[in-house]
Amino acid sequence: MTGTFVEVAAVPRPRAVVTAQRPALARRAVRALPPYLFLLPAVGALVVWTYRPLGAALNLSFFSWNLLPTTPKEYVGLDNYRRLIDLPELRNALWLTVAMTGALLLFTVVLPTVVALWTSALGGRGRAVYGALIFAPVLVPPVAGAALWQWMLDPRSGAVDRVLGHPINWIHEVRPAQIAIVVITGWHLLGFAVLVVAAGLSGIDDEYRAAALLDRASRWQITRWIVLPLLSPTLVFLALMTILMSGQLTFPLIDTLTQGGPDSQTTNVYYLLWEYGFQNFDTGFASAAGLLFFAAFGLVALALIRLSDRLTFHDS
Amino acid sequence: MGRIELDGLTRKYGDVVAVDGIDLDIADGEFLVLLGPSGCGKSTLLRLVAGLIPPTGGRVLLDGEDITHAAPARRDLAMVFQSYALYPHLTVARNIGFPLRAARLPRAQVRRRVAEVADLLELGALLDRRPRELSGGQRQRVAVGRAIIRDPRAFLMDEPLSNLDARLRQSTRAQFRTLHERLGTTVLYVTHDQVEALSLATRIAMLDGGRLEQVGTPTEIFDQPASVFVAGFLGSPPMNLLPARLENLDGRVRVRADGIEADLRPGEPDGSVEGVEARDVVFGVRPEHLRLTDGTGRAGTPVLRGVVRAVENLGAEEVAQCAVGGETVQFRGARPLGLAPGQPVQLATAPDHIHLFDRGSGRRLVWRPHPARTAPATPRA
Ligand SMILES: Nc1ncnc2c1ncn2[C@@H]1O[C@H](COP(=O)(O)OP(=O)(O)OP(=O)(O)O)[C@@H](O)[C@H]1O
Ligand SMILES: [Mg+2]
Repeated sequence: MTGTFVEVAAVPRPRAVVTAQRPALARRAVRALPPYLFLLPAVGALVVWTYRPLGAALNLSFFSWNLLPTTPKEYVGLDNYRRLIDLPELRNALWLTVAMTGALLLFTVVLPTVVALWTSALGGRGRAVYGALIFAPVLVPPVAGAALWQWMLDPRSGAVDRVLGHPINWIHEVRPAQIAIVVITGWHLLGFAVLVVAAGLSGIDDEYRAAALLDRASRWQITRWIVLPLLSPTLVFLALMTILMSGQLTFPLIDTLTQGGPDSQTTNVYYLLWEYGFQNFDTGFASAAGLLFFAAFGLVALALIRLSDRLTFHDS
Repeated sequence: MGRIELDGLTRKYGDVVAVDGIDLDIADGEFLVLLGPSGCGKSTLLRLVAGLIPPTGGRVLLDGEDITHAAPARRDLAMVFQSYALYPHLTVARNIGFPLRAARLPRAQVRRRVAEVADLLELGALLDRRPRELSGGQRQRVAVGRAIIRDPRAFLMDEPLSNLDARLRQSTRAQFRTLHERLGTTVLYVTHDQVEALSLATRIAMLDGGRLEQVGTPTEIFDQPASVFVAGFLGSPPMNLLPARLENLDGRVRVRADGIEADLRPGEPDGSVEGVEARDVVFGVRPEHLRLTDGTGRAGTPVLRGVVRAVENLGAEEVAQCAVGGETVQFRGARPLGLAPGQPVQLATAPDHIHLFDRGSGRRLVWRPHPARTAPATPRA
């Protein structure tokens, strides 16, 4: 018997690869269109109401103009920006904005986290009642709230001073005025922030807590090592909203209660901008300020969004 | 120490009774496997023992102490969750070391223990990854690592191997066995995989619909299933179960059905079967206990006659599906069986390999000789 060993043949590979033909360009374009069509109204509104005014402001920031249609605009180049940077009030207003925003974070991030953590064990009807109570101030219109507080903050006869048993001139003394603005804005926002944190908490899978309990972690360890890190994207979101919205949110209060006083010590950058634009009618100057603030807040927002992306842990 | 006693443990979800009056005594050092189909209450039972959900009835005792209402941390049990429950923001090393960090052990010691555990579970290369960067099997091993890094009173494991591939499953199974032999810690282990249960357990508790069907060693459960449910759950393919009738014929006990004829006590007729009454039964025989015959065996040898419908290749063995009467009988044997579809077959078995169950209750029937007479060689049915 003669013979030899031969290898078994390998699985044959196709020699010529036929690639499926892509559909025609027009066909693909029609298929890709619907999402853009759905976006169109939103993009249109953004262009008309946000980007066009932004462009107009950019244009105005190079002119000197007093808002009167009969007065001609006078081109001044970068003069408005130069004046703005040299303005002594700007530094004060900037510092005040940072301080007020920082103080507000206490009401929109720190306090809501504490409240939500403490009440997360609450269930059923108790939860609904307490939720409604804490959310109620959110529904009060800012100007109405300001009027109400003005009345309550009245020196001597106001409810606040009577409760404190100690007359404080809330609106005409620097520190009390600043505190009043921050606390009233915080009172407005607290309910909303608690709701957001509670939603964030309920989004954290209960299994992690269960696992940590069995791993014999204490309540504080679970909060610090598990809950807070997993909640951090929510907290960054709240911080972002606070920083970006604090100007708009404090504005009606400042305008109603203190008009930026006493001695400009409640004048934040938004109020400053408004004073120059609509009280002094220095339109070009106000436009330049607006654009500068826009750029600065844009950078802050970008940094926070980056941070929030880094902190988001996708659940398996 | 880690003796766990369950005393009428019950958990209801509205109308659904997930765990229904479980009485179970798990000795210290035992490897008890809870086995049952999906939704039979295995995870719920484990969570009740862990203290993650309160029972609606009954008690849990740990080393004689009533811990029914004790906080999970006080029970000193370690659990592997079915969903792994790995902390998504922590690296593998931090996940595994979490219980030690929570216990405020020195950092160097935590690092050393984590390295040991990672070595044991072949996770060394993954220590800096986060859970979302791991495959299902790797996640499961991290979850196991987080449990075994501690020295708890007992381990609770909820399907810890379900996501591993066949090779890894086998090697991890072997690791569990050595680990259990080394540590001697009580393990309460949930699975729906019978191979895992049979190979790991010192005892198996079979669950169905929240109730205990049978508790026993793997051998007892496999060789003497207490009910039709247990018989039909174990084995691959599981036991053939066919409706049949038990008769007392000329002094012999005989099981008959369409295509089946089996004497349970072959040999000469004797008087010991006088008391046997005719009744409806379920006739059971495992596929591997059947063999081909040409019908010339001893008279009264249990025989099933049918027609081959299909033949399945399992690699080392083949399984033939045969139509016997109106039922399907599976027959497993070394490959090749030499059978083709359409071919008539006769399958023989030994009386010892026949299992009988009551048709109504589904419970196993056992032969009990009359106390007056002592009959020799009782069939195991
Ligand atoms: N939170 C719950 N609410 C209502 N019913 C539940 C709840 N948890 C479990 N059940 C029910 O209890 C029964 C047992 O569930 P369990 O999770 O213990 O099953 P299991 O044996 O672990 O199943 P599997 O093998 O699929 O994991 C199921 O019928 C399930 O639908
Ligand atoms: Mg389960």
